Amino acid sequence: MKHGEIDNILASEEELVPSSGFLGAVMHRVEEEASAPPPIPFPWKRALPGIVLALAVLAWGTVTLVRYALEAGSGFTMSLPDMHLAAPVARPVEQAAWVVGALIISAASWLLSRRLAGGRG
Amino acid sequence: MRAPDETANADLADVDRVLGGDVRAFEGIVRRWQGPLVNMAWRYCRDRGRAEELAQEAFVRAWRGLGSWRREATFSTWLFALAANVYRNDLKRFPAVTVPIDEAPEPAELPAHDAELHERRRNEALRRAVLALPLRYREPVVLYYFHEMDVGAAASTLRLPEGTVKARLARARGLLRKRFPHLDEGHATQAVGNLTERKEA
Repeated sequence: MKHGEIDNILASEEELVPSSGFLGAVMHRVEEEASAPPPIPFPWKRALPGIVLALAVLAWGTVTLVRYALEAGSGFTMSLPDMHLAAPVARPVEQAAWVVGALIISAASWLLSRRLAGGRG
Repeated sequence: MRAPDETANADLADVDRVLGGDVRAFEGIVRRWQGPLVNMAWRYCRDRGRAEELAQEAFVRAWRGLGSWRREATFSTWLFALAANVYRNDLKRFPAVTVPIDEAPEPAELPAHDAELHERRRNEALRRAVLALPLRYREPVVLYYFHEMDVGAAASTLRLPEGTVKARLARARGLLRKRFPHLDEGHATQAVGNLTERKEA
């Protein structure tokens, strides 16, 4: 079977012989890693209260956000024809906006840190 | 040279010993595969020093991840796929020095007495032009010839369907022929056809 010339050239590459120290260098690195102390495990016991607290705050924030959003929504539908209700509605809306802003900033900083870390983790 | 079965059995035995805590058993794996891994890295970057560094990194990653080899495929298939991943990621971060394929020089015709020199220069220019191909076409070419023109092996290393690898190879050959029009005169169509013929044979 005749081969194309591109085939012939690219298939006929000379074999490279690894340098004499290659095997030793690889084994040195492997043994170094094998003898290194195991990585310190994540201190789940110590971190657990903090994680629970953070989750509780997040849950509370979500509930508050939803509540304010619902209040604001109902306030708007009722207040649109009547301008007198605008003042009581303004406060929950403002608070909800703060919560939404904080969530957006958190998400942005998380995305930025992932991007800086090369998308790992 | 060992028979494939013998090599596979030796790999299996060494992996079991390493997983059982015998670090020195990894030396057998490195001895058997250092040549292929360094040569594969060389085809990715055409820089001897960097090829050895990349191969070393691939071996260290293999050592760390030995436990994740599921033994569904041969050890070499797993090792080549892991190495290709290491080389690809490293070259994405620090690309090999190349020129765009349109600027890859094609040596001019030389007098007959310089024919051998001319042929060498032309062959080297073509090999370097492979590095100038876009990554999606470059890798199938590198691995297809590394695996002695076995589309299936190249596809396993790339973890891509064989059809995709064949299509990318054909496209890559088209780009190379366009850049080196005098190279494949008379064989241009056949070269692409050979890919399927060889597989069917």
